[in-house]
Amino acid sequence: MTEVLDQTPQAQAAPPKTGWRRWLLGPGFVRAAWMAPLFFGIGFLIVIGLRSIAHYEPLLNWLIVVTVAGLVTAPLGFLAGIGAFDYWVYYALGYPTRPEDHSGHGARSWKDYFRVNTDHKVIGVQYVVTTIFFFLAGGLMAMIFRAELAKPGMQFLDNQEYNGLISVHASLMIFLFVIPAFAGLANFVIPLMIGAPDMAFPRLNALSFWLLPIAGIIMLSSLAVPGGAFGAGWTGYAPLSVVGTNGNVWFNMGVQWAGASSIMTALNFLVTIITMRAPGMTFWRMPLLVWANFTTSLLVVLATPFIAGSQFFVMFDRLIKTNFFNFHESGYVLGYQHIFWFYSHPAVYIMMLPGFGIASEVISVFSRKPIFGYRLMALSLCAILVLGFSVWAHHMFVSGMANWLRVPMMVTTLLIAVPTGIKVFSWLATTWEGRIHLATPMLFALGFVSMFVIGGLSGIMLGAVPIDIHVSDTYFVVAHIHYVLLGGSLFTIFAGIYYWFPKMTGRMYNERLGKLHFWLTFIGFNLTFFPMHIIGVQGMPRRVSDYDPQFGTWNMIISISSFFLGASFIVFLYNAITSWIRGPLAGANPWHAMTLEWQVSSPPPIFNFDEIPQIVGGPYEYGVPGARHAVFNGAREHELEEARSP
Amino acid sequence: MAAHAEAHHGPPIAHQSSRVDAPTLGMLLFIASEIMLFGSFFTIYFFARVVAGPDQWPPPPFHLPVFVAGINTAILLTSSFTMHWALQAIKRGNRAGMQAGLVLTLALGLTFLLTQIREYSRVGFSPQDGAFGSTFYGLTGLHGAHVFVGLTILTFATIRAFRGHFTAAEHRGVEISGIYWHFVDVMWIVVYTTVYIL
Ligand code: HEM
Ligand SMILES: [Cu+2]
Repeated sequence: MTEVLDQTPQAQAAPPKTGWRRWLLGPGFVRAAWMAPLFFGIGFLIVIGLRSIAHYEPLLNWLIVVTVAGLVTAPLGFLAGIGAFDYWVYYALGYPTRPEDHSGHGARSWKDYFRVNTDHKVIGVQYVVTTIFFFLAGGLMAMIFRAELAKPGMQFLDNQEYNGLISVHASLMIFLFVIPAFAGLANFVIPLMIGAPDMAFPRLNALSFWLLPIAGIIMLSSLAVPGGAFGAGWTGYAPLSVVGTNGNVWFNMGVQWAGASSIMTALNFLVTIITMRAPGMTFWRMPLLVWANFTTSLLVVLATPFIAGSQFFVMFDRLIKTNFFNFHESGYVLGYQHIFWFYSHPAVYIMMLPGFGIASEVISVFSRKPIFGYRLMALSLCAILVLGFSVWAHHMFVSGMANWLRVPMMVTTLLIAVPTGIKVFSWLATTWEGRIHLATPMLFALGFVSMFVIGGLSGIMLGAVPIDIHVSDTYFVVAHIHYVLLGGSLFTIFAGIYYWFPKMTGRMYNERLGKLHFWLTFIGFNLTFFPMHIIGVQGMPRRVSDYDPQFGTWNMIISISSFFLGASFIVFLYNAITSWIRGPLAGANPWHAMTLEWQVSSPPPIFNFDEIPQIVGGPYEYGVPGARHAVFNGAREHELEEARSP
Repeated sequence: MAAHAEAHHGPPIAHQSSRVDAPTLGMLLFIASEIMLFGSFFTIYFFARVVAGPDQWPPPPFHLPVFVAGINTAILLTSSFTMHWALQAIKRGNRAGMQAGLVLTLALGLTFLLTQIREYSRVGFSPQDGAFGSTFYGLTGLHGAHVFVGLTILTFATIRAFRGHFTAAEHRGVEISGIYWHFVDVMWIVVYTTVYIL
């Protein structure tokens, strides 16, 4: 009965709209343009209504109004306007849901990239392009404050501007670039890799993407808030974030939107990986990229709510004068750091594990050899997942926390280097005696391994309490985070973008420009960040706009190198844009890789596969005679026979 | 390429590689995430109460209305049973039973929420009264927000139930909103025990 009801066409909720009605009422940016203000108004009324019921004075507090109406309900109105909720609203109200005609699925023209699209491949591209935009914005800010730091003394920024710029820079890089860029790449490849036609919840997938631009715009717009952008760093420590400029609220809310987005995506990945693998794709036959995103997603689902909590507390302390972190009213200030790092240490692995996965794919393919110690690689991911929750207080050695916590945290921190080391050795062993092709993705992957080792070593030094006490809050920490995040995460993101560029666009990038990009980035990166170790050990504090003249020379060198590094991305942009438009056609499998995404056309068909393939072996059996990962339709029976017979 | 895609009417059926179906698994993972969100609120609660806290909790002169909240707890618990009843009813194809169960659950949940709001207005302290007030309103408020979300979801299930959806074979909409509702109930028991009794 119900089933029938769902599909009767004449039971459509609204008659098909025509002309201007469709223009005004159909999902899209026009509807978003009037629904966002409408929802702003609703948010405004909610605030005024609640305040008058509770007899709060004054009735009109603009900061609260802007927070609720501007940063919560208006974005919701925008989402409703572009149609992110349409299906669910029909469903919830019991209307017949529109029979799926796949009109919202797949991209037939470039315009489809600006719509709510349920195709994981379109969403993947949307993610990657959006995150690169925020990456450029964040990079530009770095150029500005590096110019300020080139000489001792104040140049052209004041302290508040400086703090605002470094905070927005770091927050964009972390929450709007590294984390979602990985999510985007994974979005594109995971369903293909496991042999699924799409993600488990395509509409949720679309929604999670559209939360990102909202988060990014909120963080960027904090630069325009009267009083200045949030300036308490990407860590947003209370009490500074409570009493600092009002821009901090934009940080609180930006993090919430970005966090909601990554939780939804992670949930989607987990369900997809668990329930939609092709027949024969056991966990021990999954590519390591899938493993990496599986563990990452568990981290996201379990850890991200903690940063959400911490930002709520800070926001309430400012907006409605609660006392979570107010020392005078027996609030517990250090509580912020505990809760924040209980998310943010796992988050550094959220920012790294997907990169491990990309490196594993690339290194194996370009060494033409099976991954060394495949199972150990997967298990060490799981070990990192578990241990990652037990080390948070190594960020708090000098915070004044309970002394007894120091040594246990030091021990777990050093322990976590073991699974990490296993992975590094496995990559090295994979290249051992391989037939190495130094194409751009491989260069970035090898660059990642070497730079990540340096970052890991400084991490171990920081994990040792006595050393950390000496270099805490110095440029040594800045060097560490850039070796792991730029030399680590960013390099793997580029490895992934170059590796899957032919699959995403159907066209090949320019190899010479790709290599040029790598070498410029690699050299510029080391010139910029290696000296920071030295001035850090000598005691130059981080997060200050002025410094002792003795560090002047090094800082000049660093600033010049950083412009060089910044300029190297122009090569990438030029290469990506021109190759996308008129690069040579790539063909289905330019790298001769075995994983499933390379067995379909480039770009893949709208529903990925004509028929779900059958998995018959591991994903990395390069150079193993007769080895197969999957067999496809058509000659399936015959090939299955063949694969089974020894 | 495009022609190739057009030739097909829809995606190939995905292989189901797990015994759990996707929506149920999704809801369970979402609940795991929610538990962690409560975890952060409990963490700050215990920091305020144990690590930084005053000798006496609740700090004088404040009192907590343990009895009223206890009654409220019973109301919410009952709603879990009515929810269960609704699900069992539709599993046997009893549409009226499902509708009655859902409406009762909604009514009980709404009673809980209104009682809590009334309690807020009479409890004698505000979120601004020390870390005690902040954490009390933090935990109970977070839970209240979840009751609200649960009620919203249940409202939708009820609307669908009255519009002739759900059958003995296909009733995931009731089942999954039920899972969330039970989670909200169980969470309340933990919150109530921690905040009012301990
Ligand atoms: C072997 C692995 C690692 C160890 C032992 C380690 C250890 C540490 C320690 C002890 C600190 C605190 C320094 C201080 O503030 O005084 C730190 C900071 C930091 N680490 Fe790592 N780390 C490791 C890997 C990573 C990875 C993979 C990432 C991210 C991709 C990362 C990102 C960061 C960041 C962002 C900070 C600075 C936080 C801030 O702004 O204060 N680390 N690390
Ligand atoms: Cu850490």
